[in-house]
Amino acid sequence: MSVIEYDVIVIGAGVAGLTAGSWLSGQGLKVALVTTGEPTACLSTGCIDVCAQNDDPLQGIAHLPAEHPFHLVSNATIHQALNDFQQIMTDMGMSYTGGLGKNRRILSAIGTFKTTCLTPSTMQTSPQNENEKIHIITFTGLKDFYPGYIISRFPNASFSIYNAGVPTTMGIAANFEDDTFLEAFILWLEKQNIREDKIAFPAVLGLESAMSVKERIEHRLERPIFEIPTIPPSMPGRRLFNGLKDHFRRKGGVIYWGWPVAGVEKTGRQIEAVIAESRGRPNSLNARAFILATGSFVGGGLWAKRDTIMEKVFNLPVFVPGGQEVWFDQDYFSVNHGIGETGIAVDSSFRPKGCPWDNIFVCGAILAHTEALKNGCGHGFAIATAQAAAQCCLEHIR
Amino acid sequence: MKYEHCIRCTICVENCPVFRVNPEFPGPKQAGPDAQRFRNGREKSAEEWVLLCSQCKRCEMACPCGVEPAQIILRAQQRYGLEHPHTAAHLLFANNYYLSTLGSITAPLANRFAATKIGKKIFRRMGIATYIPFPKFSFKTLRGEKKARSREARKVAFFYGCFINFYRPDIGRKIIRMLQSFKIDVVLPPQWCCGLPALGNGNAALARSFARKNVASLSNYIDAGYDVVYTCTSCGLCLLHDYQGILEIPEAKKIAENSFDLYEYVLKLITEREIKPNFREVNRVLAYHIPCHLRALKIGYPAADVIKLIPGLQCRILDDACCGLNGSYGFKKINEATAVQLGRRAVSLIQKTGAEAIVADCGSCRMQLSGLSGMDAFDPVEIICESLGIKGKK
Ligand code: SF4
Ligand code: SF4
Ligand code: SF4
Repeated sequence: MSVIEYDVIVIGAGVAGLTAGSWLSGQGLKVALVTTGEPTACLSTGCIDVCAQNDDPLQGIAHLPAEHPFHLVSNATIHQALNDFQQIMTDMGMSYTGGLGKNRRILSAIGTFKTTCLTPSTMQTSPQNENEKIHIITFTGLKDFYPGYIISRFPNASFSIYNAGVPTTMGIAANFEDDTFLEAFILWLEKQNIREDKIAFPAVLGLESAMSVKERIEHRLERPIFEIPTIPPSMPGRRLFNGLKDHFRRKGGVIYWGWPVAGVEKTGRQIEAVIAESRGRPNSLNARAFILATGSFVGGGLWAKRDTIMEKVFNLPVFVPGGQEVWFDQDYFSVNHGIGETGIAVDSSFRPKGCPWDNIFVCGAILAHTEALKNGCGHGFAIATAQAAAQCCLEHIR
Repeated sequence: MKYEHCIRCTICVENCPVFRVNPEFPGPKQAGPDAQRFRNGREKSAEEWVLLCSQCKRCEMACPCGVEPAQIILRAQQRYGLEHPHTAAHLLFANNYYLSTLGSITAPLANRFAATKIGKKIFRRMGIATYIPFPKFSFKTLRGEKKARSREARKVAFFYGCFINFYRPDIGRKIIRMLQSFKIDVVLPPQWCCGLPALGNGNAALARSFARKNVASLSNYIDAGYDVVYTCTSCGLCLLHDYQGILEIPEAKKIAENSFDLYEYVLKLITEREIKPNFREVNRVLAYHIPCHLRALKIGYPAADVIKLIPGLQCRILDDACCGLNGSYGFKKINEATAVQLGRRAVSLIQKTGAEAIVADCGSCRMQLSGLSGMDAFDPVEIICESLGIKGKK
């Protein structure tokens, strides 16, 4: 017996889990979200990749292989889900730029371009070709961000270094939250006599106040500035996570941290409750339906043993593309590793195929045939499948 | 304690409040799993910086791989404590229970002394920070409360903790009154400090001796059919996790199985329809600061769920910021700057919500947040009693 009965329990605090949870809370359901820890979304660039296979993301989706789970989501739902997402992030003070009409490019820390669909507005003015005139700011001691990489590809770029007193992404971002620091920084920046059209920063312009920090610098320097995503710790990834998480809470959702599911209670074709590891009484939570959004291997939803691959929460049947010999490509950096297809295969209502229970719905990166790397469908795919799976879950409950 | 499981993702680092503001501290990944690879039993520990970890456990709650960096660091802190002489501040706070007993017997004097210039100077000389006032000792501790027993079916053994006992016994009385209004028998079993301050100051032996006495006492009550209820979230964490974990107390499992957070207990009674509190309207806009150790208890935020039942009340939950005080951590001068910076950030997040007052389960969070913001900070029970019309004597 659990203390509280929920309508839906979402497992996983990534973009998919939080999106599904918020949507269901918004429909008036009582929703709890349980998670082992924080999601890989925190490590991401914060950009919303829908499908990078084509300039037009919807065209790209149309050309994905027939078994790709994106085909289970109608275009109307994809539109709706991404619009909702943009609205949520605007409400949370971290707006996003772009739309489903056309993919965008953003500059990466090694000077290449990355294709994505929606970007945080702090990356809105990221250059679209190598000839743009940009001035890069970096910080004393900041590891893993070398303007040299970009300058070697951008003939019209130069750089300056500011001493923020701390050498880490986190520390610098924390400083930018402080008005006195920001003011001193802007005064220094004004003295640099920057001639280029745009100013680039590693993504360290604050955490919760990034938008206002950006606007203040732009206003004083009278030209656009933009952020370049860094390797983790990644501030834009954390802002994305914080925004979705706070929104879920505002909708009435409840989050259980440090809550890895260790067992389930079931009767007949229903899962009744999930149970967490506990030092004392068994810690269980009941619900009428469950949404599985635990991500793929890195997210912790799938677990590879020597000869099999397991789904960690419900031990659902996992689709595996043939034997071990096809799991990996010869080239380490290839995007064609067969293992990218691994995951949970679902029917048109996002219920796992061949599953003995009727009240589990699956969304996000754990879905089979996603091949996120190869197809460039990341958070956008998570958002769309989450909303679609949440709709099916709602129908099931009503 | 599975340092081999670390995938070096840095999510713990992003969540470490101390790392965010103190460049001297290398963060949970380096201080935890990374350094663990090089720790061995033969060389004397030279890592004084492990003491900079406040044991807020936020790294543990964030790690997607179950590595528990805070546990690894806690053990390194004990090791350092064993091999090095303790500073005055460490000794003092480890023994805060005995000192507080003395302080409350001499309360009027002790409080006046702590507030004087000389008192503050002596505090600073000993390495104690004075940026917020030291909490005031209460002359009438909770322990002195007369036992009011009746014959209700439900019986609670209340583990009130030092903060309530020595500084805010009025809150303890409110808790007792609330439980009694639900027709629950409340007793105050013999009890000592949970041991967390001793552990946090590198003195596991002292912590273990407190723990043994508490376990023996509570165990008797459990056998007699009592549920153990704690209200200090740090006591709870120590009772449930550290007794079984680092302190290796036999019988600790029994305590963990029969102990409840106060609001977890109330919520359980409400959902099982054992009680039907008649909540009346309370017109307040509150910001609920989630204590790091409540989060680490992994029981959700039960007080928030209870407070939600009160009509008219608006309550925003904030669990992204550590208040920075962490019991005795922020009272040490070497941590003062860290504590103040973290406290200011937590306060600014609270003020952004437009709330008129703060709620927090933990006395040390309340002290820090109201000290730095000038706002009122309540224990959830004060709000619940306001709604139930229960008034407490001072
Ligand atoms: S301890 Fe956990 S959160 Fe920290 S780096 Fe290792 S895996 Fe990541
Ligand atoms: S317990 Fe808190 S202070 Fe210590 S390393 Fe973990 S997050 Fe940092
Ligand atoms: S943790 Fe609890 S028992 Fe220990 S000092 Fe604080 S209030 Fe007292």
